[in-house]
Amino acid sequence: MRYIKLPSENFEKFFNSLKAWGSIYAPVKRGSIYSFQEVQRAEEVALDYNRTMLPPKKFFVRPRDEILRLKNGRWENGTDAEPIVLFGLHSCDIHGLKILDKVYLDEPVDPYYKARREKTFIVGISCMPDEYCFCKSLGTHFAMDGFDLFLHELPDGWLVRIGSVRGHEIVWENGELFEEVTDEDLKHFKEFEERRANAFQKEIPQEGLADMLDLAYNSPVWKEYAEICLACGNCNMVCPTCRCYEVCDKWISAYDAVRERRYDSCFMENHGLVAGGHNFRPTRLDRFRHRYYCKSYFDPSSGYNCVGCGRCDEFCPAKIEHVKVLEEVRGSLR
Amino acid sequence: MMDKLKLAVFELTDCGGCALNILFLYEKLFDLLEFYEITEFHMATSLSEGSHYDVALVTGTVSSQRDLALLKEARNHSDYLIALGTCATHGSVQASVEGSIREKLKRVYGDEGNPMRALDSKPVVEYVAVDFALPGCPYDKNEVYQVLIDIAKGIEPVKKDYPVCVECKLNEYECVLVKKGLPCLGPITYGGCNAACIRSGLGCIGCRGPLPGEVNPASEYEILKDLGYDDDYIIRKFKTFARWEP
Repeated sequence: MRYIKLPSENFEKFFNSLKAWGSIYAPVKRGSIYSFQEVQRAEEVALDYNRTMLPPKKFFVRPRDEILRLKNGRWENGTDAEPIVLFGLHSCDIHGLKILDKVYLDEPVDPYYKARREKTFIVGISCMPDEYCFCKSLGTHFAMDGFDLFLHELPDGWLVRIGSVRGHEIVWENGELFEEVTDEDLKHFKEFEERRANAFQKEIPQEGLADMLDLAYNSPVWKEYAEICLACGNCNMVCPTCRCYEVCDKWISAYDAVRERRYDSCFMENHGLVAGGHNFRPTRLDRFRHRYYCKSYFDPSSGYNCVGCGRCDEFCPAKIEHVKVLEEVRGSLR
Repeated sequence: MMDKLKLAVFELTDCGGCALNILFLYEKLFDLLEFYEITEFHMATSLSEGSHYDVALVTGTVSSQRDLALLKEARNHSDYLIALGTCATHGSVQASVEGSIREKLKRVYGDEGNPMRALDSKPVVEYVAVDFALPGCPYDKNEVYQVLIDIAKGIEPVKKDYPVCVECKLNEYECVLVKKGLPCLGPITYGGCNAACIRSGLGCIGCRGPLPGEVNPASEYEILKDLGYDDDYIIRKFKTFARWEP
């Protein structure tokens, strides 16, 4: 992997050069939350954000997504994909997209996801963990791929890792903005990473998690938490790896309609409902437990479905903490 | 051409907003008129000629003997009856009034009795079986549009199964409960309003009534208590639009 340096004074020029690829979407502050929004100028970007409310999956699997349109009695395909730049993704979110890739790009390929994914240029950015982050213990705190460029904060600029051919091309076209990396820059980079590694306040012991969940299906801890869980679905909505969707038809006039898909949540009644009226997960207990099995165990071949971003904890009205639940479940086995 | 379906709108005791909301569909009303003829709707036609309705919309609570008679009439003469608006589905503000109507009448009219033949306000669903219930104070007019076209096309309309939180997150509105500590009933309230109040930075007041099923009002109660709201306040908030026991 090639490393180069972007001096602070060139940051804005570099940012503007990305517009050649497409519209730039970056984290901006809205009230007390951050959100990926279209930005025009570098100063609009909240470079030191902790996490956005909706993860970057919203650009590929949209919260509400029109997939087909019924016009004059015929269904028309509604795929649209504009080239965009996603600027300032944290490592956990890049890992989140890689998990979604496995689902949406494996056969059968989701054409909407694929078209948008291919046209998106991804720029990662380094971050400092807050009280919700536990990505380090899941190995998702550093991205080796899944981005085009990755910016690491230095005292006087950015150490840039180039992660793709497209990344190389952008750097090549703007060669005058970059410098070679010095030993001192590397020292600063390592210092930053060390400081960051020591800043994590939470970790999820991964050891034997799948086995533990195997044994703990009937643990009383699930029941305790199901009592305080609101089953409101907030954790699903903000999760970078939750990818269930519901498909609904909507009339837009007497004879024309759109088929729309939107995020679904496994806490909702219809999620476990099948033809004939049977519901696989009829109670809140079933749904609460299901989420944990889905995140940590459901399909061991695809690895963990959790990247430790902390969104579910931050936006849970009942203040349920993902790591704490798993630790208590583990404890109940002892 | 196929005969149009006969549509009736009946209004029991309410503010009139839910019936008016149908007219607020404006030009989209003509889409409905492709499939329906309005045979009974006091705000839209002087016709009142129905002895049979394919679809009847009923708004308001049953608050008098007149309401009850009208509701029975509507139920007996319609194939598909929709309780429309929170008054009809949950009782809304009228039904949340505490104390019995008899005591109140006595205080005003003494022993003269009950000149309006008033009853304790109750939702439509307490008296008759309904084919579909669409809450909201008022309901989202686009919802009734979807439901009526579905029925006209022979599609059973789909009941929503999610709380306000889901639509709030789809719109990425700042969470006022978690971030501002506002008393928001979003997690336990029936969705479909597209989180209109949270868009304006306000907490959900629960006007669409509780989401049935596995929601957890007891936990919502504890959350609001932890935020510093007192018992009385929380219970009144819970009961503003629906008489339910938290």
